[in-house]
Amino acid sequence: MIAPGTMMTVAMSRLLRDGETAFHGVASPMAMVAILLAQRTHAPNLVYLNITGSIDPHPDRLPISTVGPELLRGSRALVTLADLFDLSARGRLDTAFLGGAQIDGQGRINLSAIGDYARPKVRLPGGAGSAALMPTAGRVILWRTKHDRRSFVERLDFVTAAGNVDRVVTPLCVFIRRDGSLAVESIHPGVAPETVVASTGFAVETDAATAITEPPTETELRLLAEIDPNRVIDSEFRTSG
Amino acid sequence: MRDKLTSMTDAIAVVADNQTIALGGNTLHRGPSAAAHELIRQGRRGLEIVKTAGAYDVDLLCGMGVASSVSAGFIGFETAYGLAPSYRRGVERGTVEAREHACYTVIAGLRAAIQGIPFMPVAGMTGSDVPAARGFRSVVDPYSGRSVVAAPAIMPDVAIIHVQESDRQGNARIIGTRFEDVLMAQAARRVIITAERIVDGATFEAMPEVVAIPGFMVEMVVEAPRGAWPCSCAGAYEQDDAFLAEYVAASQDADRLHAFVRDHVLTHDPVSV
Repeated sequence: MIAPGTMMTVAMSRLLRDGETAFHGVASPMAMVAILLAQRTHAPNLVYLNITGSIDPHPDRLPISTVGPELLRGSRALVTLADLFDLSARGRLDTAFLGGAQIDGQGRINLSAIGDYARPKVRLPGGAGSAALMPTAGRVILWRTKHDRRSFVERLDFVTAAGNVDRVVTPLCVFIRRDGSLAVESIHPGVAPETVVASTGFAVETDAATAITEPPTETELRLLAEIDPNRVIDSEFRTSG
Repeated sequence: MRDKLTSMTDAIAVVADNQTIALGGNTLHRGPSAAAHELIRQGRRGLEIVKTAGAYDVDLLCGMGVASSVSAGFIGFETAYGLAPSYRRGVERGTVEAREHACYTVIAGLRAAIQGIPFMPVAGMTGSDVPAARGFRSVVDPYSGRSVVAAPAIMPDVAIIHVQESDRQGNARIIGTRFEDVLMAQAARRVIITAERIVDGATFEAMPEVVAIPGFMVEMVVEAPRGAWPCSCAGAYEQDDAFLAEYVAASQDADRLHAFVRDHVLTHDPVSV
């Protein structure tokens, strides 16, 4: 059995391209590790950007808070968060990793509130930079550590952000957005197709012909253990909103 | 330039009820925690807090009745500790107003204030409910005819920024990430610097480029060793995870929070001189 955090992080990592600029924000251990893994595997020339403003850091210890000063280590230059939003605004940020407490069938996200917006049942943290980044980044990769009908919904309680979503990675599958709608691209090994359908609040189609996500290779598993020996990625399963 | 070294008590005394206060730092890192504690001691009420992404300082000020609105893109303790309990409770019960932003609209609003103009056009924001929820309007580009969201200017009454080093004139050095602190200092009417250590300003003469905030923009300087605690302060100390776990647990309930703050927060900071 492949740990869901491992499968998700590896799947996210493989979506990155060599030579591109890739960014993650706060509360993003999996995106942080996915980027570091991609740099060690197929994307050595990827430019790693994050909220500390460091560029291509070589952290010797990974923070759970993905704005931590641990991410300054090894960086040879320092920019500001404003610089990074500006980069995206002028179309020079290739890939942004973003999350959502709720995600709909168009890949739009809610990170603002559950229930009535003015007097919510649950006030969520807010979308951070997502409303600005989702329409301006070249593409957006979403991830969510819970795949259930409360997370993947027919209708969002509030649209925090919408835009250039390309893929959504979950513990069960990878969605790809085609013609504006999410479709199942691959199902993780050991997950039944009917589980994906039953766990998703919007209509999706799967069948026996749906692709299976390629399991992590020995090299990916070894590098993942080197990069993240304390499994900070698993912190996302403890507290995801 | 004049000597601006001030006690924490006297510096925070300039903050008036119902003002807009920008807090430097980001989530669990280099926030002006000791200054936030002093705002609680002095019983300030009705503050609007401005920050791109906040955690301990914002949650604490909401829970202790100091803040009544928060203009920010993100308030939470990230994956280590999850949602911000007192902020969440305040918004859900209607005692705290979430003035939701994208972090970039906070930056754009500060930039408008810095440039002395009423708003700043900001890219993106299409398809989001945030502009309508917040009453952010759009303007038409007079050249292309295209519509763009206009973030209103944010001019904080006071910016409170914790740094590693400042001289007595307020020339402030930030080691590591500056976050939005320089923008806040430029946009605000008044600037309070709290510093891990007060240094001889002559040392900056050999390397003035390390100074992030020039002293002439600063009104007061407070010596505040461990002034970001329990947040991290790059080059000085890491975040206090054990304390933050206790804080988040106490923050789940208003009565527990008040007792915790009385016994474990307000007792912590060194008595200012």
